[in-house]
Amino acid sequence: MQESRARVVAAIEKRPGPVPVDFGSTAVTGVHVSVVAALREHFGLAKAPVKVHEPLQMLGWLDEDLKRAMGVDVEGAFRAKNGFGFANEGWKEWSFNGLDVLVPGQFNTTVDTNGDILLYPEGDLQAAPSGRMPRGFHFFDAIIRQNHFDPEDLDPEDNCEEFQAISERDLEYLERETARAEATGRFVIANFGGTSFGDIARVPATHMKDPRGIRDVTEWYISLRSRRDYVHAVFERECEVGIANLERIHERVGARVGALMVCGTDFGTQTSAFCSKATFDELWLPYYRRVCEWVHENTNWKCFKHSCGSVDRFIPSFIEAGFDILNPVQCSAAGMEAEHLKREYGGRIVFWGGGVDTQHTLPFGTPAEVREQVLSRCEVFGRDGGFVFNSIHNIQAGTPVANVVAMLDAVREFNGRS
Amino acid sequence: MAELNRLNQAILEGDAKTAAAVTREALDGGVDPVVLIQKHMVPAMDEVGRLYEAEEYFVPELLLAARAMKASLELLRPLLAASGAEPAGRVVIGTVKGDLHDIGKNLVGSMLEGGGFEVIDLGADVAPDKFIEAIQTRGARIVCLSALLTVTMPSMKKTIEALKEAGVRDQVKVLVGGAPVTPQFAEEIGADGYGETANAAVALARRFSGV
Repeated sequence: MQESRARVVAAIEKRPGPVPVDFGSTAVTGVHVSVVAALREHFGLAKAPVKVHEPLQMLGWLDEDLKRAMGVDVEGAFRAKNGFGFANEGWKEWSFNGLDVLVPGQFNTTVDTNGDILLYPEGDLQAAPSGRMPRGFHFFDAIIRQNHFDPEDLDPEDNCEEFQAISERDLEYLERETARAEATGRFVIANFGGTSFGDIARVPATHMKDPRGIRDVTEWYISLRSRRDYVHAVFERECEVGIANLERIHERVGARVGALMVCGTDFGTQTSAFCSKATFDELWLPYYRRVCEWVHENTNWKCFKHSCGSVDRFIPSFIEAGFDILNPVQCSAAGMEAEHLKREYGGRIVFWGGGVDTQHTLPFGTPAEVREQVLSRCEVFGRDGGFVFNSIHNIQAGTPVANVVAMLDAVREFNGRS
Repeated sequence: MAELNRLNQAILEGDAKTAAAVTREALDGGVDPVVLIQKHMVPAMDEVGRLYEAEEYFVPELLLAARAMKASLELLRPLLAASGAEPAGRVVIGTVKGDLHDIGKNLVGSMLEGGGFEVIDLGADVAPDKFIEAIQTRGARIVCLSALLTVTMPSMKKTIEALKEAGVRDQVKVLVGGAPVTPQFAEEIGADGYGETANAAVALARRFSGV
């Protein structure tokens, strides 16, 4: 498996070679639990309920046997608690759309009058639920719990409650977790958190029982324009605490980590952007730069940036900030054609994703169409290294397993050719 | 008129307080609510849409403008209802069953309201029978279906099929939109139109309403 790590390092260093594969290393490169179960069956692996390790999106844990069958080269190291504020431990069975899965012990749910499933922060059934899964559907979305606030009397401190110095207990956990990940021989991506800078999936704070500050998605977007000082104050605090925590974590985990998942804030929409480049440069670039500078000056980690959508206009700023890796490379969005991205930015950033379209081709195409697209993307993005294969974001529920297998086979075929 | 142009400006700048204040002053001064809508609100929101298309405005600016527009419209709505003034058309809008994402749907709804339409917003995760009810009981003639997720796109098809089964499909035009939705998909499921942007949805709604 040491080959896996070397393969990813070569790709990151933009050396020609086989295209490495990532599935399951982060919450944005994962596989829905139902597809994980289907893949296990396809590969004839031991029948056992799959663990849901990321409850919001219901991502399934890829056990060692499945990772080997899929040819996965990357391992995720995850923090102690998931997005609902409880640990992935004390596993118990749970039936989900007719599928038996394993969920953490504190994954406590109720069903509302519509038949929707409600999930609770820290597993506390006395708290207001923070996640809702519509009846018969596949994952949770945040429930907005916006406390009343006086717009004239907003305190940024309220939005900083979650930025706390990491505990000794969590440091010990990360030591063990990164050691586990490193022992797989794969390239390790660290999901330490703490530098999400307005990631809209984190704003509603599904892990907190009674979040204060601006937690409504629309209100947050509005604040980017109308309360910029407030947002700066929140980001400043997050940046200070985040870097201080990274320092302490680095002392404990050192070179076990290959790359750090810095931030998943989305800047692109399908056809345009959530904000102007000028807004990005004023509001995000300084904080991203500080985090990336600290990482590069003090560690050998690479900086991983996720942003969905049409982000062509932002890529120069991502590079300027110090990001080494871009994900998910949404080629289906406007201006994100593979050839264009590779030509313009291939020498300066690693494309981690973009391997196959999860909006159309992978869920709805034929295996032949999947193969054709995967081979084409490997050809373009894999030229002279700088490419780690991943689908464009997580593989969604309902994706035919034949298409997932066609995708994996096509990567092998490409690597066999070259 | 110069004073009333402050309403256009307030909407463009996303200044809800000023938008409401100017509206109040205008109404106190006897200005016809229909004039406020047709001569000020609609052109202002058209300009907001144009700025979005031109990539001078983005999501935050659109949301702010919509909020300012709504602050004004809240004051006008009761007067419009009392006067019996007819909107440009009645639209029912919702994110389809299984999908809880509503930012895109809200933006389209706001742009339609700003375009002079009466908008019945059913929210997110909307079952087909709710759309049917809005058509049958509230006279909606345009149905806007939104989806962000690949996995909820089939709910759009199911909703259109439900409209057929309920015998109301011929009474309405169905528009679809959302990140994964394509013109081809819209055609495949039997929708009447596809709006890539909020502006495009307003243009289609106007065409269908003969406005």
